Amino acid sequence: MAVSFNQIVEAVQEALIRASTTWRPDQQQRYQEAIRNEDSDSARWVLEAIFENFRVAADRQVPLCDDTGVPHVFLEVGDRAELPAGFLEAVGEGIARGLRRLPGRPMAVLGDETQRITQSAGLAEDPGALVPAPFQIKRMPGDRLKITVLMLGGGPEIRGRTMRVFHEHSLEAVLAEMVRWAAEGAARLGCLPCVPAFGIGRTNLEAASLALEAMKNGDFTLQSPLERHITAEINRTGIGPLGLGGKTTALASFVRVGPQRASGVRIVSLRVGCCFDPRRATVEL
Amino acid sequence: MKLETPLLQDDIDRLKIYDRIIICGKVFAGRDAVLPKLVKYIRESRLAELGIDLKGSVVFHTAVSPAGIGPTSSNKVDIESSIPVLSAAGVKIHLGKGSLSGETAAALKDHGSVFAVTPPVTALLSSQIVSRRVAAFPEEGMEALYELEVRGIPAIVAIARGESVFDLAGRGGDRGWL
Repeated sequence: MAVSFNQIVEAVQEALIRASTTWRPDQQQRYQEAIRNEDSDSARWVLEAIFENFRVAADRQVPLCDDTGVPHVFLEVGDRAELPAGFLEAVGEGIARGLRRLPGRPMAVLGDETQRITQSAGLAEDPGALVPAPFQIKRMPGDRLKITVLMLGGGPEIRGRTMRVFHEHSLEAVLAEMVRWAAEGAARLGCLPCVPAFGIGRTNLEAASLALEAMKNGDFTLQSPLERHITAEINRTGIGPLGLGGKTTALASFVRVGPQRASGVRIVSLRVGCCFDPRRATVEL
Repeated sequence: MKLETPLLQDDIDRLKIYDRIIICGKVFAGRDAVLPKLVKYIRESRLAELGIDLKGSVVFHTAVSPAGIGPTSSNKVDIESSIPVLSAAGVKIHLGKGSLSGETAAALKDHGSVFAVTPPVTALLSSQIVSRRVAAFPEEGMEALYELEVRGIPAIVAIARGESVFDLAGRGGDRGWL
């Protein structure tokens, strides 16, 4: 049976609240391991505070971080799924209602093009005025619909980049560059431990989309050899939680490799996710 | 160590890096949009017009919104560049997150001020707010200069007396990233 407009509004709203206020079990488990593994008092103090913050946020359904982030929506639509009229409108409405209920940080910048760049016409007071990023959409088998809401904070965006890497037919060459970017970003991020997400694609847009998909799929307890390698290399820096030194600079890495172009170049996109990343929740209808 | 505002120079002079502190009393909250404006008023000797006294104060690099409070990256240009001028004007603790440059560390030392970091634990931090009011520049919304009264904000001293944890943090590792 086709899902209704209102079901979608409700489900998206719930997903946004869940993404913003709680952690999944794999994320909790990884933090507990990291706390046990740290020798430094300062590092353990930071990790324990972040874990306690999760407990309080989840219990009271309040934001994990005051930078509640820019909503990103990943839609997976079954080949035989029936969508109601106004489907995308319903997703947008769910996002707006979720932001008002959370409440999201009222950070939509008002004004025309110039004013939006210079932030000279002030901010919207309505948290729901924050327009989500362009939706990402993918087909899947079956008749169901999966909607994932991801909330992307600003700090990781400052540390991210999308750029070409000359691969020289060597995985090591590409990995070395990825680790270098992530370690440089981590050194300046502040909200450590980080969770870097990478996409490797043929164009800048595709690579960035794949990085978002990596965040959608990533599991802290199911790490590929590639992901484990990147995490271990970042942790060798010793930058540690909040930059105070320690063993846990990265909790995990999420990598998604897409189709590639016949060329000596790979386009790599990185988001140096923060200590709450990925703030995401999925609903299936 | 509990520190109550307004802070005395003696309180600050005792601090060293990695010290764990709890800040209580009134603190200012400001970030990207408002700190450069505040700096402009200080440079033009017009701070009195705002009715703000920065002597012995704390500036927390955060927005203040219904979503709560939490440190933003202090190494953003608008914020880090405000630190020397605000320190000269009497700000004793700059509270935020992220590494700062050697020049900023030197300026902090010159003015007898410190940089402390706090984890981005909004759910915990927001519960410490007793009262809030817009102190200046209300047009900036969540980025206005706020005065918060807080029960206790936990932090770790990251830069003091010219020493920085960000110089030391990488030493535990075996790669020269920093």
